[in-house]
Amino acid sequence: MANSLLELDKVQKDYRIRSFGRVIRTTKALDKLSLKVEKGQIFGFLGPNGAGKTTTIKCITGILKSDTGSIKIEGENIEDNSFENKNKIGFLPEQIGLYGNLNCFETLAFYAGFYNLDTETIEERSLELLKVLGLEKDSKRNVGEFSLGMKKRLALAIALLHKPQILILDEPTSGLDPRGVKALRSVLRDLNQKGLTILLSSHVLSEVQEICTHVGIINDGKLIRQESIQEIREKVRKTAIKLSLRVKNFDKESSHEITKKKGISIIEVNDLGKHQQIILTLKEKQIPWITDKLVSKGVQIFSIEPQDTSLEDVFMTETGGNSDD
Amino acid sequence: MISRRLNQWNNLKTWQPLIVAISLVMVVAILHKAHWELTTETNPVETWKGKTITKGDNETNINFPENVGDSFTFKGILMTSPKFEVYNNDSIVLGEYSKDEALVYDEDLYGKTIINLSGMRILVNGDLSGKFFESEVITVKAYLIENTSYYTENEQNITLNREGWEAMPEDIHLASDTDYYFFTSELIILAIGSYYSFSRIQNLRTQLRFAKHLALFEFGRGLKAPRMIVLGSFFTIFIVGIGWLLGDLQNSASVFAVTSGNDGILRLSYFSFFVVSLAAIAVSVDTIHKERQSNTLNMLLARPINRETIVLGKAIGLTMVVGIPAFIAQVLGLYFMTIAGEMPTIGCMITFLIFGQVMIFTMVTFQLCLAISAKNGADVVIYGLGAWLLFSVVWTLLVYAVSFVIGIDVSAQNFENDPEYQAIASRLALFNPGFVYQMAVGLFTHRTISIDFEGVPGWLLLLSLVLWPLICLRIATWLFKREMRG
Repeated sequence: MANSLLELDKVQKDYRIRSFGRVIRTTKALDKLSLKVEKGQIFGFLGPNGAGKTTTIKCITGILKSDTGSIKIEGENIEDNSFENKNKIGFLPEQIGLYGNLNCFETLAFYAGFYNLDTETIEERSLELLKVLGLEKDSKRNVGEFSLGMKKRLALAIALLHKPQILILDEPTSGLDPRGVKALRSVLRDLNQKGLTILLSSHVLSEVQEICTHVGIINDGKLIRQESIQEIREKVRKTAIKLSLRVKNFDKESSHEITKKKGISIIEVNDLGKHQQIILTLKEKQIPWITDKLVSKGVQIFSIEPQDTSLEDVFMTETGGNSDD
Repeated sequence: MISRRLNQWNNLKTWQPLIVAISLVMVVAILHKAHWELTTETNPVETWKGKTITKGDNETNINFPENVGDSFTFKGILMTSPKFEVYNNDSIVLGEYSKDEALVYDEDLYGKTIINLSGMRILVNGDLSGKFFESEVITVKAYLIENTSYYTENEQNITLNREGWEAMPEDIHLASDTDYYFFTSELIILAIGSYYSFSRIQNLRTQLRFAKHLALFEFGRGLKAPRMIVLGSFFTIFIVGIGWLLGDLQNSASVFAVTSGNDGILRLSYFSFFVVSLAAIAVSVDTIHKERQSNTLNMLLARPINRETIVLGKAIGLTMVVGIPAFIAQVLGLYFMTIAGEMPTIGCMITFLIFGQVMIFTMVTFQLCLAISAKNGADVVIYGLGAWLLFSVVWTLLVYAVSFVIGIDVSAQNFENDPEYQAIASRLALFNPGFVYQMAVGLFTHRTISIDFEGVPGWLLLLSLVLWPLICLRIATWLFKREMRG
């Protein structure tokens, strides 16, 4: 049985808007959010804008304090022994904030000063990480001259400096070019293989699908699904399947007619020249009904092919169709 | 109700020893007050006002309600320096009746001193010059005696049957001789309470190490900041120049003349505050705000460092950024002042430098409070400059306004010499870190802390000097924790 490394139980967080010290408005960010990350997982944290992903991560890393509920790491409440527990976490924020007038070594030495590391270990680890992350050549340059990708890599080095048990990444690939994304993915896989548990939030669903072993979907501050990727796909497949139809004479009226039926939604319609391709989701038992309907409306059907359900489809279904994160 | 209070008490686990210690200190303070009230007459002027003067055709009688031979210990403030109150043939005209002192000047008085203890006149059988000084709080064990003397008024011989208070020089003591027992007890209790409270803080040593790490980092960054290079050069030139000027003015007959080295250092402390506080505000003006904007704060908050430690580390680091160059500038200022003028007392010079660092820490933490709570960069700058203007430039106007409101005629000539105005100004000065610094330096031109600054005792001044940075630091950490909570 897997051990729970990180556990959030009914975590609640409200943002308070103040004016002259008085709270004038509160906004609920997390609503009794519960979540479990087991050792060795790469846990993808998905959700639309404003769902509470970053707030959750900030609460875990101690940047924000939750109002109620508990956040436990290896069974210990994170606030009970903040020092010991924070030592177990490495954090890569979405917006990297580094001091531009320091070089890589100075930056790493500054952040290493907040862990129980001696100078020798700091130097050794710094060299090792800069080498792994491809920053060795630029280690003497000021961080202010770095590209965003280089800053991300340096921030990742900071996060890994003290050998954390869990690495938390908030939108790690945002702003990176495809090569950078690929390199990061490779580094994360290597780290995971060496036993590091990873929790990452991302709006790039394909990336989560590719790298993560488990996924949690958050919406309106609540975790609405937490399972392995395979399990999620299976469940969705049971309730809705995705079909690709090659047809002719498909018009707006036909489209309107079939989408009136509950459970059927058209994802896209592509013009293939002579024919049209319709990609839609529906329940398995609705297949005979839809073919009959299309034929009755004068639509010629040339082929019906099932499509793989992507994480995006799951995401769309679970969050009510908004994947614009 | 009781269980709720118990819960509240249990929640304060870390601070329980300190709370107990502060409660005990308050008990000791009450005992201290009670000690003086029970063993001394703390309002000598009332006794003095209680006398009756009756005048007959050729006889004047001065009587007190107390019985002749009665002895009381009076506690009060020396309103004038005893060195100006010693009777000799230059200071008195023999045979003259002094209404204020309620006696007739005669040769017997030569070499004796008539002290003014909070408005009460006591004749001391000895010369107190150089033994006690103006504004010192003293205790005097005095006896009510009676004697007869003669004087002439309107060419008429009058007999004065006088009752008056007299004391021996050895029966006069500084109140601080006793005060120090109480203050020392309070400090010991507070130190024990603080020790036990701090020992309950988790990972205190580690957090202090982090604070040092952050402070050194801030210090390194701050020293290289262009604004500090400009401000540091500016205030060094200013303090050194003013130091030299104040030394030179000691030999001058101008209206701005400086009377002594101690007077010079008091003025230098004001000018130091004027420029150094501006530098302290300038370096800490955007420390939290800018870090929040550039996301470096989030990177820091994700480390195992407490929020209190972040504020403390930044406050110490920024204090070092201003404090170390200011210390050098103040030493140079003092040097130039002493080579051009008189040497101030050692205690005064040491406190000028040490309390200067306390003042800088206070201004840094004060500005941190503003920087944390401000919504944007412009607000931080405006708040900071506003605070600097208030404390260093427009404070006097505020004192005038308060005095006017409570009924002092601020349009009258020389109203600044009005004791009531001076009492208001002194008390309000406790709310200005600049004046607290200046007065604290002034306190150490004396040999005791039992000094009265127009109604403000020396111990209250020192308490204010300590409380200012502590309160600012506490508010800054509270605000920081609140803001970071979201």
